[in-house]
Amino acid sequence: MTITILGIIISALITNNIVFSQTLGICPFLGVSKKLKSAAGMGLAVTLVMTVSTLFTWVINKYVLLNLDMGYLRVIVFILVIAGLVQVLDILLKKFLPALYNAFGIYLALITTNCAVLGTAMLFGGDAPADIVTTFVTALFTGLGFLMALAVMAGVRERMETAHIPRFFKGFPIALLAAAIMAMAFFGFSTFSLGG
Amino acid sequence: MDFFMTYIVPVLIVLGISAIFAFILAFLGEKLKVEVDPRIDKVRAHLPGINCGGCGFASCDAYARALIEGKAKVGDCNPTPDDDRAVIAELLHVEALKVQRKVAAVYCAGTMGEASKGIYHGHEDCTSENIIAGGVSFCEQGCLGGGTCVQACNYGALSMDEKRGVPVVDEDVCIACGACTQACPKKLIGLIPVSAKAHVACSCKSGGKQAIEQCTTSCSSCGLCAKNCPVKAIKVEGNLARIDYGKCNGCSLCATKCPRKCIVAREYGTDNRD
Repeated sequence: MTITILGIIISALITNNIVFSQTLGICPFLGVSKKLKSAAGMGLAVTLVMTVSTLFTWVINKYVLLNLDMGYLRVIVFILVIAGLVQVLDILLKKFLPALYNAFGIYLALITTNCAVLGTAMLFGGDAPADIVTTFVTALFTGLGFLMALAVMAGVRERMETAHIPRFFKGFPIALLAAAIMAMAFFGFSTFSLGG
Repeated sequence: MDFFMTYIVPVLIVLGISAIFAFILAFLGEKLKVEVDPRIDKVRAHLPGINCGGCGFASCDAYARALIEGKAKVGDCNPTPDDDRAVIAELLHVEALKVQRKVAAVYCAGTMGEASKGIYHGHEDCTSENIIAGGVSFCEQGCLGGGTCVQACNYGALSMDEKRGVPVVDEDVCIACGACTQACPKKLIGLIPVSAKAHVACSCKSGGKQAIEQCTTSCSSCGLCAKNCPVKAIKVEGNLARIDYGKCNGCSLCATKCPRKCIVAREYGTDNRD
């Protein structure tokens, strides 16, 4: 079991990194990776929402949708659940953890339409869902993988601010190039496989 | 039964989940309400509410919150009328600052018709043109004439002077929100006090002979304005004259002394750049 969990963690974090391998959540990856602070806020908010919403959608998928043979309703139901959960989290955090709420800032509300969150929920809400522990661990580490991708990108982009870059490449073009190179580096991990 | 399973149950599932979340949210929203400072709403009521972004905050609400928290100053909002500003200052228990109304001013007298590097066939937008080697204008700092600032202005205060290819500010309409200063890729628009009597309509940083060769109204950084200014309000920095409006006494002597006619005398509401 521990080996399986370890394999899942490494797979979710690195080999199947949600940004670099699965190309989900590209919008925040490019949009919110200019500063390390905002990247961390976004990454943490996504991790939290991803974990909670995947658990909820897993339950709804397994015990409601699959029982009634209504898999085709998944997208609309999952979107509803994610949107509702984000609002609930928003209210709860504002009341009980204002410091964390301020750290998340505007990003918590933006996550409602984040494709990485829906993508992860869909991944575990298939016709043959995995068990709840696997789902929880994978969702958590997929979120952390997203956080890592954003943090690494933010670090690179902060360095690029002061680097000598040809004028035509300044700003967004060089960010795309850096993202491509980073994705290729992560592609190198794809041949790794962990037994168990 | 088929009909029931195909049409009714899916609708019921979606409606049910929505209803559950609606009730949870309504309940939580009422139970866990976070009390906010009631002054925020009062301050907000005296702000223009146009969310122009000129103060540096995302909206008038955000600015009102920043005012209460002491992160912003009362004078940061340009469009607020003086009497509203006084009310806000009273609410915050600070002294009302008399803030000089500002207007947008264009730091270029127009380069259209001057020698150009080529012909631009792309999207009619300054930002796009600027990405391609800084635009086709011979002057690296000059106005591209694409009218991006005109589009950025939500109040119709800017219009394009077709003859010279530079924007003209309607100072009666301008609220100095600063949207155009953000939109211009060459950063050619700034905010100056409405009472300013002189204005440097050039951003050329080449200076000297090169500046004279490439444009008829460029600042050649000769320094005559700085020498003649009685209150030493003009400095030539980076080959370009700039007026410090804090010191300027409004004599507009610089405008008469400028051999390149790039410092122009101005009156409120007029545009004397011709």
